Amino acid sequence: MHSKTLLALTSSALALPGVIATSSAKADTPPAESVLSYRASSYKEDDLDASLLLAGSAERYDIKIHQLRYAAPVGDKYSFSLDSSYESMSGASPWYTVESVNGDAKVAMSGATIYEKRRDITAAGRRYFDNGNLGISLTISDENDYRSNSLAIDGSVTLANNSTTIIGGASYSDDELSPTDALLFNRIPSATKANSSAFVSVTQILNQFSIIQSGISTARASGFLSDPYKLVDRRPEERNQFTWTTSWRRYFRPQTSALHANYRYYDDDFGVSSHTLDLSLHKTFKRTITVVPSLRYYQQDAASFFTPASDFLQATDFNSADFRLSSYGALSAGLKLNARVGKYTFVLSGERYRADASLGGAGESSPGLINFTRLSAGIDFTF
Amino acid sequence: MNNAFRTVSLLVLLCGLAACEAVPAYQRGDLARTEMAFDPDPLESRLNQHIYFSKEASTGGNGVAAGGCGCN
Repeated sequence: MHSKTLLALTSSALALPGVIATSSAKADTPPAESVLSYRASSYKEDDLDASLLLAGSAERYDIKIHQLRYAAPVGDKYSFSLDSSYESMSGASPWYTVESVNGDAKVAMSGATIYEKRRDITAAGRRYFDNGNLGISLTISDENDYRSNSLAIDGSVTLANNSTTIIGGASYSDDELSPTDALLFNRIPSATKANSSAFVSVTQILNQFSIIQSGISTARASGFLSDPYKLVDRRPEERNQFTWTTSWRRYFRPQTSALHANYRYYDDDFGVSSHTLDLSLHKTFKRTITVVPSLRYYQQDAASFFTPASDFLQATDFNSADFRLSSYGALSAGLKLNARVGKYTFVLSGERYRADASLGGAGESSPGLINFTRLSAGIDFTF
Repeated sequence: MNNAFRTVSLLVLLCGLAACEAVPAYQRGDLARTEMAFDPDPLESRLNQHIYFSKEASTGGNGVAAGGCGCN
């Protein structure tokens, strides 16, 4: 085994709860190696079914994404990472929904194709202590009609039993909207919103082959939470969210495979609650090739103010026909291939996502649900 | 908020802690494998979280939240 590989494996082991090097008594250390990663991805939504289209373009979003990441140790007590992404997007999105004479809902899409770009960058640093670590990150996301600045801190402490780690964190973001063509379409010319969140979780080694992490989080959004690009959309100016997440990992040595299972329960005071379950199997061949098939199931209830057809009369204080607030479920399947050649790891992955109203929870569904395909290719260079 | 789910989450957490066994450091090699990490591919999980945040009503549960965007 190469010394760097041994160093990396040792570092990973040291990062686990309770793995304390007897000589230095240092439980938590920075990653042993630097990593430079790049991904190019294509995200493409299926066209809207012609039978559901009332007006506008049936062609939905097509997004190209480039991601770059650099993560490195700094001395023996710090690490640093930089994440950046660039997205270019084209396509149309639902503008409003009406009920036709036979009772079916139909969607009017934005008439002209939208062209949009988004850039974001996250800089993060972490300090490692004998029994834990503390990190801080700053993120800026910039579009021609939206800007978000956010700050996050998180830390972890490994307990004296050497098998349990408590992790906690908090974040705050300050966002500004400036919708395009505001005068032409009677949109709000500018607005602000803020998001704050906090979480705590526990990671526990169960036995030699399995580890579990469970945690809860709360988040609060306030300000202008409506969608300015919908013809009719009026949402409350505050949203309180709660999640409970549990992740389990189990290694099967004879099969050289790791099973990942993640579950998330979510609810908020918009009336949305949801269940998300995803499973993946990381099967390694000859220590160099990893194949990862995955499945994801998602189900949500509709928001209490969701209406299948846009409420042009504004009969209620709050209303939205946004399909993302409707009742629906979604199934997705993915496949990923990693091939390691020396210091390089080549990555290919894809996912197919299908939303279906019949899989939804309580409430009414929308005709504007999406199906999409994501394809990614990239490379990691470790040095 | 659903208090029942909060109670269940705490109970599951406590049961999980009670079910664990002490694992000496020399037996933790499999737990330290890259494919056993909670987030083995930060770039892919970052992209997926961004997509689901943009296209679904639910968000959160992945550590500290990232910044907002015009996609949602």
